[in-house]
Amino acid sequence: MQTNWRLFKVYLLAGTFTFSGGMAMLPVIERELCQKSHLISQQDLYEYTTLAQTFPGVIALTNACFVGKKINGTSGMFVAGLGAILPAFVLMSAATALYQQLPQTGLILNILTGIRAASAGLLFSAAFTLARYNLRDVGSILLALICFGCTLFNLLSAPSLIILAASVGLLLGSRQQKERD
Amino acid sequence: MLAITLAFLKIGFLGFGGGYAMLSLIFSEAAHFGLTVQQFADLNALDGLIPGPIAINSATYVGQLYGGFGTALAATLAVCVPSLIIVPLYTHFEARLNDHWQVPALLKGIKSAAVGLILAIAALLMLTMVGNVTTITDWSNYQADWLSLIIIIFVATADLRWHLNPLLLILLAGLLGGISYYL
Repeated sequence: MQTNWRLFKVYLLAGTFTFSGGMAMLPVIERELCQKSHLISQQDLYEYTTLAQTFPGVIALTNACFVGKKINGTSGMFVAGLGAILPAFVLMSAATALYQQLPQTGLILNILTGIRAASAGLLFSAAFTLARYNLRDVGSILLALICFGCTLFNLLSAPSLIILAASVGLLLGSRQQKERD
Repeated sequence: MLAITLAFLKIGFLGFGGGYAMLSLIFSEAAHFGLTVQQFADLNALDGLIPGPIAINSATYVGQLYGGFGTALAATLAVCVPSLIIVPLYTHFEARLNDHWQVPALLKGIKSAAVGLILAIAALLMLTMVGNVTTITDWSNYQADWLSLIIIIFVATADLRWHLNPLLLILLAGLLGGISYYL
């Protein structure tokens, strides 16, 4: 019970103070669970982080569930998971409710226009950062360009493009595998 | 409510490769519910202002917008389902997933796609903000908004090159927009 309460508190804290994405939670988790209370080893934490990225779903949540399950079984999984998503859910529903009240005219509309432009700018920056890490060969670049074109001209939906890209990835991977054998 | 919940269940299970891959799925799925490009841009800005994983924030936002608190809760829980299924299964079977070449190959394909998807969404957002048109082929109604273009270029550069805090950049852009009202 005490371990569960501690897990919940750590994830709640990490979930409340990490902005722009769940991966930013990791340093807080490491400090609290590995260094302060020695509930899990650093090596295990990083193994779960890598593992969580290979599965579909919310990476930060999958990671929290792995850690919670390892430390305190199924109940640990649920409290860690709940702690990880609760701040985001509560704050975001409050923010959205406030946002819905905003009149979209005059001064407010101009402020929102500025914010929307910033939002587009941040997406460009995210795309370039992702490209720097993920596009390292001709196949990947071509695949990204095809997905870019299909989305821009509304030719294929994102789900079908993702399934297509996964198949292409498998195909290219199997060719490399054969060359190695 | 059911349609939104099912959409986020689908997004969860297809959402490989992190928040931005998921954001592109949300962009294409949420369009079915009538989410406008402006509302999507606001979602992305709120993601920067509110802590938490992008997918959780987005599910809450879309749910709250289209059905209130209950739908927000249902959509958020739906996007959590994959994690809650996968973790017990994996710990039960202890499969050595990364030993198989298929897993990294699959993820490599999806991550490449995510780059193209996000870039396209950024371009569509820019088209709407700067050109006031929603599709790239709609040139006749083109109308330039120079302030938006300047903000987009400034924010992208500031984030990419100088690593300024996104939260600060969003607030700064809001301030610039507010000042433009009095000009």
